[in-house]
Amino acid sequence: MCFEIFSWILDHYPEAVKTMDDELLYWICQSIDEEKDPECLKLSFHVVEVVMKLFPDPSGFADQFASDLFEILSKYFPVYFTHGAGDNLGVTRDELSRALMHAFCASPYFEPFAIPLLLDKLSSSLPLAKLDSLKYLDNCIHCYGADRMVTHASAIWFKLKEVLFSLSSDQLLSSGSPKDAENNKNQIKSEAEHCLKTAVTYIHSPDRDIFINLILLDEDIVNNIHSVTTEEKSIDSSLQALGSVVSILAGSSTYLCTRVFQAHFKRLVDILGNSAGFDSQHLSIANGSSPAAINYGALYLSVQMLSSCREVAVASREGVPAEESWWLILEEKLDQIIHLFGKLLTIDCQPTQSAVRKECVSCAVKGLLILATIPEQCSLLLENAYEDILQMLTLVITSKYENAHFWRLSLKTLTSIGSSAVELHASKREMVYNRIVVDKIICLAESCDASMPLNLRLEACFEVGTASVNYMLRVARSLEETVIRNISQVNGSIECADYVACLIDCYSSRLLPWFFTSGGLNELALSFALRLWDEIGDLVTLDRIISEGLLESLMMGMKLLVGVCTEEQQSLIVQKACGIVSSMLSLPVKALTHHLLSVDELVPAHSVQDTALVCMLSSVIVGLWPQTPVPEMMMMINLFSVFLLNGHIPAAHALASIFNKYLQNSEFSHEIKLDKILDVILGGCFSIVLPSSNLKMSRSSAATSDNADFSDSLPGSIGSKIDILCGLAWIGKGLLMRGDEKVKEISMFLLKCLSSEASLASAAADAFHVMMGDSEVCLNKKFHARIKFLYKQRFFSILMPIFLSKIKETSELTTKLVIYRAFGHIISNAPVSAVITEAHQILLVMVDILAKLSVDNQDKDLVYSLLLVLSGMLMDEKGKECIVENIRIIISVLAQLVSYPHMMVVRETALQCFVAMSSFPHSKVYRMRPQVLQAAIKALDDKKRAVRQEAVRCRQTWQSSFA
Amino acid sequence: SLLSCYSLLIWCHVSIITLYSLTFLHHIRDIKDPEHPYSLEDLNVVNEDSVEINDELSHVRVTFTPTVEHCSMATIIGLCLRVKLMRSLPPRYKVDIRLTPGSHATEAAVNKQLSDKERVAAALENSNLLDIVEECLSPTLG
Repeated sequence: MCFEIFSWILDHYPEAVKTMDDELLYWICQSIDEEKDPECLKLSFHVVEVVMKLFPDPSGFADQFASDLFEILSKYFPVYFTHGAGDNLGVTRDELSRALMHAFCASPYFEPFAIPLLLDKLSSSLPLAKLDSLKYLDNCIHCYGADRMVTHASAIWFKLKEVLFSLSSDQLLSSGSPKDAENNKNQIKSEAEHCLKTAVTYIHSPDRDIFINLILLDEDIVNNIHSVTTEEKSIDSSLQALGSVVSILAGSSTYLCTRVFQAHFKRLVDILGNSAGFDSQHLSIANGSSPAAINYGALYLSVQMLSSCREVAVASREGVPAEESWWLILEEKLDQIIHLFGKLLTIDCQPTQSAVRKECVSCAVKGLLILATIPEQCSLLLENAYEDILQMLTLVITSKYENAHFWRLSLKTLTSIGSSAVELHASKREMVYNRIVVDKIICLAESCDASMPLNLRLEACFEVGTASVNYMLRVARSLEETVIRNISQVNGSIECADYVACLIDCYSSRLLPWFFTSGGLNELALSFALRLWDEIGDLVTLDRIISEGLLESLMMGMKLLVGVCTEEQQSLIVQKACGIVSSMLSLPVKALTHHLLSVDELVPAHSVQDTALVCMLSSVIVGLWPQTPVPEMMMMINLFSVFLLNGHIPAAHALASIFNKYLQNSEFSHEIKLDKILDVILGGCFSIVLPSSNLKMSRSSAATSDNADFSDSLPGSIGSKIDILCGLAWIGKGLLMRGDEKVKEISMFLLKCLSSEASLASAAADAFHVMMGDSEVCLNKKFHARIKFLYKQRFFSILMPIFLSKIKETSELTTKLVIYRAFGHIISNAPVSAVITEAHQILLVMVDILAKLSVDNQDKDLVYSLLLVLSGMLMDEKGKECIVENIRIIISVLAQLVSYPHMMVVRETALQCFVAMSSFPHSKVYRMRPQVLQAAIKALDDKKRAVRQEAVRCRQTWQSSFA
Repeated sequence: SLLSCYSLLIWCHVSIITLYSLTFLHHIRDIKDPEHPYSLEDLNVVNEDSVEINDELSHVRVTFTPTVEHCSMATIIGLCLRVKLMRSLPPRYKVDIRLTPGSHATEAAVNKQLSDKERVAAALENSNLLDIVEECLSPTLG
């Protein structure tokens, strides 16, 4: 409390305090001495800090009292804090330590006392003490100022050297696991490096060579460099330490960099050159069988030096001082070193490599990266050197793909070189990069038959493109070009078709998303789509597309292309597509424009080309924005409905998208009543699928009058009926997602189908899955569908009572099974929380569904998703209550599922449900125990390990909770 | 080549058996010692070699080594092993639990006690004993 008041006074009335004399300081000393409470300590440290800052005058009391005060303070260093985390003291060790640190740094008068203490503590064996003293030292160097620190420079260097190099042969006492020790070591290392850096940068003296002389002339370092370069070594920590010292030293300023380079760089490169020269001879004789001796130490050190000189270059933007600098030395050796790195790359490509050689190669690649990313304006890096580097790496990409690790490394390096050129606005380099790298890489993708695997080629293209938007644009154009060319080429082999499919896939799944996130996608998608349509417009090409099975991937690509376009671009594409389709279609398209659907136009047999055209048109429609104006809507709707009635699913996708996006759109509603048309289409579908159905469903008069004819003239195969049902489901999904009332009609019709003949009924059951499930093909966010909030939940609660009553009515087994399946789809796709609120009503039905469906192999996915719903209920309080009420039947069904033969996860989940149930009230479940245990025992002998383990857990919990 | 083929076969068989015994060991390694907070594997009471299996005959033999020769808890540890295996294995297995020869002062007596069905059943009727066993078998947090 006293301290609190005191520190407040000091903070707020410094002037008043200043007038007081040594009495004050004396009292402070007295009061702090022997203080133990952490909170008080923290305050007292603060007091000392403030007081020392208040008396800066050299002749004042501070000078006299400094030693006394510091004696008191030094007792607390390093801060030992024995309280555990549980003690609620409000002060942590970190805070305390920081307060002490500020106190240490408060006045330069502490300097003669503090530095020796800290240096002494540096050689402590406790990692914590080491860490703290490094931190303090770092701060002290900042605060005390260069003049005072110069005297300590050599001492500091020796101690730091000791720390850095002793870490390799560590004798640190550490109580924790090896992981902790490793962690400590890393922390100490980074702290020490940091400290060295501040020391080097802050301690200026009139003779600025002081540190550099210390370090460079240090015998240990010189010896170390010698030993490293003479014997072959793998990477170890002493080398790492050496490297970091050198790079810190060189990276601090231009002058230091020059000194370091003068001292060592030349020699290192020469050594490297010797070893590598020996290397190549050796290789030519022994044919690469023996691992050549590459001087890894020298390599590592020179790469470290290079990286620090890049740092210097980036820091000093304005350009190099021309004469007498590191740059001249580097320039002298540049060709040699690039040549060396390049040699390393070309030699070391055998897939079987030792770890050392791998390190070597990655080091060399890193060196190249560094060389190539030195900023253009301040380095005189000759243009041809840059070109050489790029060419080397590109060569690796194009020819050395057997070694995947190495290949990826080079690719990444190339990409980062490219992006750095863009970031630094080095236009000349960008041009060079464009010419050398991008051109080559693009060539890779353009040829159909190369020895290199296609996926690697595409990966290379994409990665290089990510460096900048411009490169990516070029990649995209070349891909586009290749696709178009290959489509229009006459020689169509299957390989070629696969190749084109891969290209389109790469384009739409990699490039388009990238453009979408990073911008720059202007006319690209538009032009590609238009050109694709141009190609489709050619009959011969169209035939080939169909015969080669390219249609699927083209459709998907077209959807995505249209999906990323803006509205105006989309409308252009639609117009073009419409024009081509209407000119090429063998149907009387003009007639479709104004009439509503009628029987005569239902030409049963369509040519293959027509189908393909409609497919492509539908994929355009699917990707449209709701706002995009569509010409000749009437014609298209009619066209699609004709195809739908022939069981054509893509047409259904298009219709579903139209109804999802445009229904009740003010533009259309007054001239062509879309909902009327919808009625007609639905009516047509209904009557084809179920000819016998009396026409309650289809209210539209047009359909009613035509209906009799349909049933006579078009009996329709079962296959096409099933397809139509599926199409209906898609339309239903479109309506459902926008929350339209008409969906009721469709669902009622589907319900009716459920009780009809077997195959039709099961198709109807699957239709519910289509309506409730999420889809990649159409009607999702990517294709701008209108999605109403909570539409699944709404649909579920509408249909649930209907299904429940229907289940009650039906007695026949097969029909019931179908209804169960349909209801199962609805339950499993509805949100779990919605299902839980209705748990009391549907739980029994659900369990019954599980029991009935578990007989058949076909329904395994459905069984699994239902089981997941059940386990979701088990996690919920309300669901639990319901389950407890019906525990007997649920457990018997689950026991049945424990031996479900078709799917492993079902068995596992069932057992997990049991485990969850063991936490139910004892009185409710104890009678079930024998049954559960029996099921678990059976599962102990299961074929799958995961099930057996789950069974053991289940048995353990049930056995022990009732013992 | 026939010989090599044969040896490969034997090797496969051995590795399968090793796999099995590892699976079994997985069941018992986490049992806690009644006197310490450590698991049996930590104390080296059971290890990889202590489980022998014959899957065709559905027979398992676990050999365990008490920490000291006069360990009074040897029977309890044996009982824990038996209960845990009874709960973890399909009922077709016959479980045989023994002390490592020469590891305990009253080895024969303990072995006899552990293989006596009635005495095991009687021990599990004793609620004090059962509590200890359950405590040892309860899953650890780590």
